[in-house]
Amino acid sequence: MDLSERIAAFREWIAEWARGLYHGMVSHPAYELIEKEAEDREDAFLLACFPDAFGIPSPVSYYTAELLPYLAEEFAQWERRMWDRDSMLERKGEQYHF
Amino acid sequence: MARFVFFGGKGGVGKTSMSAAYAHKLATAGESVLLVSTDPAHSTADVFDQEFGDEPTPVEGYDSLSAVEIDPEREVTEHLMETKRALGDQVSAGIVNEIDRQLELAHQTPGAHESALFDRFIEIMREADHDRVVFDTSPTGGTLRLLSLPEYLGGWIDRLVEKREASIDLYERAAIGGREPRRSALGDPILARLRERKEKFEFARETLRDEAEFVLVANPDELSVRETERAVGSLAERDLPVAGVIVNRLTPAPDDDENGRGARFLRDRIATEEERLAELEALDPPLLAAIETRVSEVKGSFLAEVAAELDIETTI
Repeated sequence: MDLSERIAAFREWIAEWARGLYHGMVSHPAYELIEKEAEDREDAFLLACFPDAFGIPSPVSYYTAELLPYLAEEFAQWERRMWDRDSMLERKGEQYHF
Repeated sequence: MARFVFFGGKGGVGKTSMSAAYAHKLATAGESVLLVSTDPAHSTADVFDQEFGDEPTPVEGYDSLSAVEIDPEREVTEHLMETKRALGDQVSAGIVNEIDRQLELAHQTPGAHESALFDRFIEIMREADHDRVVFDTSPTGGTLRLLSLPEYLGGWIDRLVEKREASIDLYERAAIGGREPRRSALGDPILARLRERKEKFEFARETLRDEAEFVLVANPDELSVRETERAVGSLAERDLPVAGVIVNRLTPAPDDDENGRGARFLRDRIATEEERLAELEALDPPLLAAIETRVSEVKGSFLAEVAAELDIETTI
């Protein structure tokens, strides 16, 4: 292996590590955080659509029922999540890496 | 008069008779008319001695008059079935069972009937190819709520759209470095449906404001006069135009030479009614007609008689 090849291999190794480091330290936590926030917003959206699932009467549930075919899986997961969740702290805590 | 004319008022004052008489007047003047009953009590069938359904049916004996009786129960069931069908097409059987309860629940809420009625009502306003559409509404309270729905629900749907957009926006932003976002605003069926709803409510709101007019029916008694007063106020509050008031069931005067117990009763009664009438006249909208009590129900030949007494224009 001559020098130029060894330099090229070393640079590739550096690049891979740099990519991995960047992904692990910056981009992964970032998109995870943003996605969690998006999930929270979606929970709020579902609650606004179907408060009657928790016994709160809603004037639009007749109309939002039309959305159920497209929200079915999210709805089922959401309902389970909402019944299970003990506290807001627990959910928010998940968003941070200590 | 506007293209859509609503007859409103307290229960039992004769909205059905008056709206049927007006529809008769329009139809005999040569216009094509659709008479729509949104009252669950459905007495249009009794006025014309004919059964009507959920689709416009020609009224026997007229060239250009059709009638519809909206059945909210049927609309709710249909909506439920349609959603269930879509559900079956979209998701697996396991999820269907989980969602079913929620669907049934949504269709049993107290607002469901109202929403179904409102939906059908928008559809009729949108699809009617008649020159005029006359609505025989349910008593004032329910109708006013129905008519304020576009405003109220429009705002609610706006908030839902905002929430959905916010979460989709975050999902798109989370797709760092060319990853596929979990949801995207383009082709999101939820946003599309919500916007479709919103557009329907806006259509209803605009049509009610620009192309509709209200005729309030009252009897010359205190309760009915008070309710008319309130209705005029609430309609003005909602920017809905009132064309005028019809007073129905006035007591006929006895001949001057009569002096029996019956005649004395009638004269006293008329004196009271004069007071109520004065109160109605003091209201802002004009008195369109004063109809005397008939010896029997307003139908058949009485319909033509009453129609002749209605001082409402038949042209737009």
